[in-house]
Amino acid sequence: MVSGDLLREARLRAGLTQAELAERAGTARSQISRYERGDVLPSLEVLRRLIRACGLELGFRIFGADIDDHDSTLIAQTLPLTPEQRVNRAVRAAKHLYAA
Amino acid sequence: MSPGASIADFEPGLVLRALEAHHVRYVVIGGIAAIAAGAPILTTDLDVTPSSSRENLERLTLALRDLDAKLRSRDAHAGVRFPIDADMLATADSWTLTTRAGNVDLMFAPAGTQGYDDLRRSATRERIAGVTVAVAALSDVIRSKEAANREKDSMQLPILRRTLEQIGGRPL
Repeated sequence: MVSGDLLREARLRAGLTQAELAERAGTARSQISRYERGDVLPSLEVLRRLIRACGLELGFRIFGADIDDHDSTLIAQTLPLTPEQRVNRAVRAAKHLYAA
Repeated sequence: MSPGASIADFEPGLVLRALEAHHVRYVVIGGIAAIAAGAPILTTDLDVTPSSSRENLERLTLALRDLDAKLRSRDAHAGVRFPIDADMLATADSWTLTTRAGNVDLMFAPAGTQGYDDLRRSATRERIAGVTVAVAALSDVIRSKEAANREKDSMQLPILRRTLEQIGGRPL
């Protein structure tokens, strides 16, 4: 399930409108709509916060690690790169993710 | 994605080269600085803090003209032209711009900081996109985002703090 579907499912389970979720999460309804449509891909941290605002918890494991371990793993994978390589990689990833 | 240039146009190296070509004094801050430090986050714009001295604003003017900088606007996708000169740049603490190399935010006094001289103290010289530039310390990026207290900043702060822990507060 992609993040937009996951967020919509959590919101509907909580019985919230997009506007109500937006108010709870301190964001704009249009932003919730963009996340749900898949126009914008929320970061893991944003997704976790929005799902918490639905009264649910995004509890999952990636490669046997919990979400905080996942962040640490991502950082550990990034640190061996040079600053230039880190920036190049992030720019390429942003272009790929946000191109739509 | 924020309004302004298409993400396909985002080439921070072109902006940095234009700034360097005109000998602009500045520090890279924000998402690109955090990424350079090792934070696994994404960004769609380049944030810099230029020195606000008069001569630097003159140099910055030349670089911005080279980059065809315009004001970023939700209503005008291509941006809004404005008179780019030192006097104009001196009238605001921040400018959200769109350029031929993507979106650029100029922040002369980022929240929680005293601006260029403050950030330069802990900045390091790093090679980014083919040019060697001053990059703000991750601790300063965090300090500024904490002070700004915007939603998108507060969401990034946990991973930025974790990155700082994992690099042990060391420079890049």
